[in-house]
Amino acid sequence: MLKTNLLIALRSLWKNKAITAINIVGLSLGMACFSLLMLHVNDEFSFDRFHVNKERIYRVYRHILPYNGKEASSDPYLPMPLGPAMQADFPDVLNYVRLCDWGEQYVRSARLLAKPRVLYADARFLTVLAFPLLYGDPQTALSDPNSVVLTEQAALDYFGEQNPTGKTLEIKVADVFEPFVVSGVVRNPPPNSSIRFDFLASFERHAASKYGKRGVNNWNRSAYFTLVELKPGSGLASDSARLQQFYNKYHPGETEEARSAGQWAGAGDPTNYRLQALTDWHTQPEIGGGAVAPVNPKYGWILLGLGGLVLLIACINFTTLSIGRSAGRAREVGVRKVIGARRGQLAAQFLTESLLLSGISMLLAFVLAKTFLPALNELTDKQLRFDFQLYPELGWMLTGLTLLTGLLAGIYPALVQSGFRPLEALRSKIRLSGSGLFTKSLVTFQFVLSVGLIACTLIMLRQLHFLQQKNPGFNKENVLIVDASDADTRRIYPLFKAALAANPAVEGVGASELSLGADAGWSRSGFEYEGQHKEVFEYFIDPDYMTVLNMDLLSGRPFDYAVSADTTQSVIINEAMMHDFGWTPASAPGQVLKGYSESGKKDPVVIGVVRDFNFLSLHKEVKPMMFHMFNGYQPYQFFVRLRPGDLSEGIAAIEKNWLAIEPDLPFRYHFLDDNLARFYKTEARWSTITGYAGGLAVMLAALGLFGLAALAAQKRTKEIGIRKVLGASVAGITRLLAGDFLRLVLLAIVLATPVAWYLMQLWLADFAYRIEISWWTFAVAGLMAIAIAFLTVSFQSIRAALADPVRSLRSE
Amino acid sequence: MIEFKDIERYYDAGAVKSYVLRYASARIGEGEFVSIMGPSGAGKSTLLHILGMLDEPTAGEYWFLGEPVHKFNERRRTELYQQYIGFVFQAYHLIDDLTVYENLETPLLYKKVPSAERKSRIADLLDRFNMVAKKDLFPSQLSGGQQQLVGVARALIGRPKLILADEPTGNLQSPQAREIMDIFRQLNRDEGVTIIQVTHSDTNARYGSRILHLLDGKVERDEKI
Repeated sequence: MLKTNLLIALRSLWKNKAITAINIVGLSLGMACFSLLMLHVNDEFSFDRFHVNKERIYRVYRHILPYNGKEASSDPYLPMPLGPAMQADFPDVLNYVRLCDWGEQYVRSARLLAKPRVLYADARFLTVLAFPLLYGDPQTALSDPNSVVLTEQAALDYFGEQNPTGKTLEIKVADVFEPFVVSGVVRNPPPNSSIRFDFLASFERHAASKYGKRGVNNWNRSAYFTLVELKPGSGLASDSARLQQFYNKYHPGETEEARSAGQWAGAGDPTNYRLQALTDWHTQPEIGGGAVAPVNPKYGWILLGLGGLVLLIACINFTTLSIGRSAGRAREVGVRKVIGARRGQLAAQFLTESLLLSGISMLLAFVLAKTFLPALNELTDKQLRFDFQLYPELGWMLTGLTLLTGLLAGIYPALVQSGFRPLEALRSKIRLSGSGLFTKSLVTFQFVLSVGLIACTLIMLRQLHFLQQKNPGFNKENVLIVDASDADTRRIYPLFKAALAANPAVEGVGASELSLGADAGWSRSGFEYEGQHKEVFEYFIDPDYMTVLNMDLLSGRPFDYAVSADTTQSVIINEAMMHDFGWTPASAPGQVLKGYSESGKKDPVVIGVVRDFNFLSLHKEVKPMMFHMFNGYQPYQFFVRLRPGDLSEGIAAIEKNWLAIEPDLPFRYHFLDDNLARFYKTEARWSTITGYAGGLAVMLAALGLFGLAALAAQKRTKEIGIRKVLGASVAGITRLLAGDFLRLVLLAIVLATPVAWYLMQLWLADFAYRIEISWWTFAVAGLMAIAIAFLTVSFQSIRAALADPVRSLRSE
Repeated sequence: MIEFKDIERYYDAGAVKSYVLRYASARIGEGEFVSIMGPSGAGKSTLLHILGMLDEPTAGEYWFLGEPVHKFNERRRTELYQQYIGFVFQAYHLIDDLTVYENLETPLLYKKVPSAERKSRIADLLDRFNMVAKKDLFPSQLSGGQQQLVGVARALIGRPKLILADEPTGNLQSPQAREIMDIFRQLNRDEGVTIIQVTHSDTNARYGSRILHLLDGKVERDEKI
């Protein structure tokens, strides 16, 4: 039976080549799109699942309940003595592994100087976690404080060979390059690992270093991840009472202090340690931390949903086209029923056809998906591959997708067609053209999705444009930020500044402790001012910073090298802070920030007010902020304003200046406007994805419409013939045929508008600075859909209208 | 074998019921060869479809091999039908996408007849109708007479007790029509298959043993030959 069904399906597909082609193109595009998004989302959800003992390994984090006016928060950076204390106090903690992941460090060998990621880890790292060694002994590779383990890639980069065991290289530890001996080579961490490194060094070595020493036995210095391996069956992860006891033992008196200060009035304790399953690391962004930004799983589902919608549009094409030509197959159904077919047998035959089609489409979809994978990788900053070893679940996922697509697309036509009554079918009394209510609803639904996605894309693009064009309150063009954070900046900043003063490409140079834009970091202080808790962002700058960035001073005066108090006491505040403290531009200068400094030090004095500027992303309002002039802090970021024109020459000249002053360190820089644009990377990504989905949706919907219009024209050949004989014009007939479909598209626009408007309103609510959604966005999206629908439909309609009426009537 | 009493079949045409059959009654024994004749609109085809269980009477009783078909649901009717009845149409109604062989095989597939038996039954019939050479051709590659031969063969493949034929030679030239009718006669005489045919042609009706004359939805005359 199956063999016969397959044979019949093949013949039927072959006989209707045009419709088959439309279906295969549509389904394979839809399936390719879905497979790609599925690959992406599956990767997100597969993070850290390769560890053998994954269900027993947890990351410890500190959880603080809503407290003292702040929201609840979680922090995975913990004190150094935590791990050993846990193992000592809890019998069910088998092992602990502390990680010091301070990002990229300079590493040099005879062959290469670069800034790879160096991870300091306890020696058990290699036995507790699944990072297999290619060379070296996992038990001992990290035992010696001077040892270092390289990834395969790092071994090739730094030594040009696979096994450099025993060779030495130098890592910059606390400003000085120090020698390490290679004790092993580890397989490159898989891309779906939250723990990332190029080099593994011993945690002991870190604890002995200048910065590490401060953390030894110090419960107040939180800078390390702590992983624990529990004994099988341990319930510690959900036993908050035991953890609270532990917390209170090592942080005694905290709750009492908070209570007596009036900051904590709840029952129990505000702060506790909690355990996060290792496999949740990547999908709990509220805890955060690590080299790979964790993702909110909600977005994974939204992405899959988008892919699903596109696929649904392709499936609908199959459904409507099958229904549209089912009248033509009615006789066959009738005959089969008369010779003894049951309804189920006929439905199986039709489903075989749709499943065969989805199978063929899957093959094509796989090729398409592989072709477009690099584009997706670029969009998402990933290096995904259709790797069935890395993602063993892909096999059944793709099979499932094929079956699901075939069933989804084929079930309705199969049920309808197998339900024909044999006599009516034999007498061709089945009236099921493309004009059925169901088909109409499906077509409308397709266009609701298409128009909705296009409208959303347009709104997202406009908001993105707005974010990038909005004046942030300073001049962001032509500013180069030189990252000097590894240099001895106190020494080199004056030299660098002097050198650039002589550089004709440079207009001015300022410096700040922190950069500006995405990933620049921020610092914020809280203090009690006249009985009120205030939170203020702080930037440490030199006097030229505000000039270089063209910031406006509303009142008061700028910092001045000549005034000695400026480096210790003076601050310039922004408007938001001025309002927050209830001052005016006139009254602010001279105010003292009482309560800011620890006892014994002088409180800062306001000397000026700067016009609000967006130091955070435009998602947020400008918050209270103040500038200090450097004293205890270092000018790590140099802001260089270049003269407009050819920037590359300017950059080359600055690089020369840099290398003359700091030959040991590479010249690293960003453009300020790029830094700001990176705030909106996520938004740019989403608008691109929505745009692709929208484009694909429109294309697929149009493809279906093309087929439906062809079927409609074919079915109405006789009617068209009669009308032409009676004197109807080509334009009139085209209008007649196209009108039916265009009405559906118009309806779709009406339905899509409120939905898209509502969703985009939700999306925009995330931005403190946003555009107004205007009606013309929907008009544009609608016009695009109408234009596309009109082109596809009228092509078929005109062809039908131009056909020779004599021939079409004779054939009846 | 067949007994129908006061069969009535009407179609709703707006407010008016338009009767195709009314008070049609007759009894047909096993091994008979009956022709149904009558003017256009007399209800011949409708009666045949009701006998073939493709249509249901709006009133009346229909007994087939002693079973009350008018009380059966569709599933039981299909079972009965699959087991005992073969249909031959004026327009042949072969499946265009299937070869002669596959057209013959399909009813057996639906009846879940094992592969070996399917092969032997098809081979027998092809042999009997001299169509072995044509088994891999598609219906469109055959003449009308050949197509109807396949149609008859398909009706026979399930080894029915009853063949219902709706103007089986209506689309055929006389020599080919004679060939089909000869086959019917032979089936009836040699194998005892009951045959009921609808026809306009006296010549064809003479092949049978009995003629039911229909007029205005009623059996008006029952003629023995």
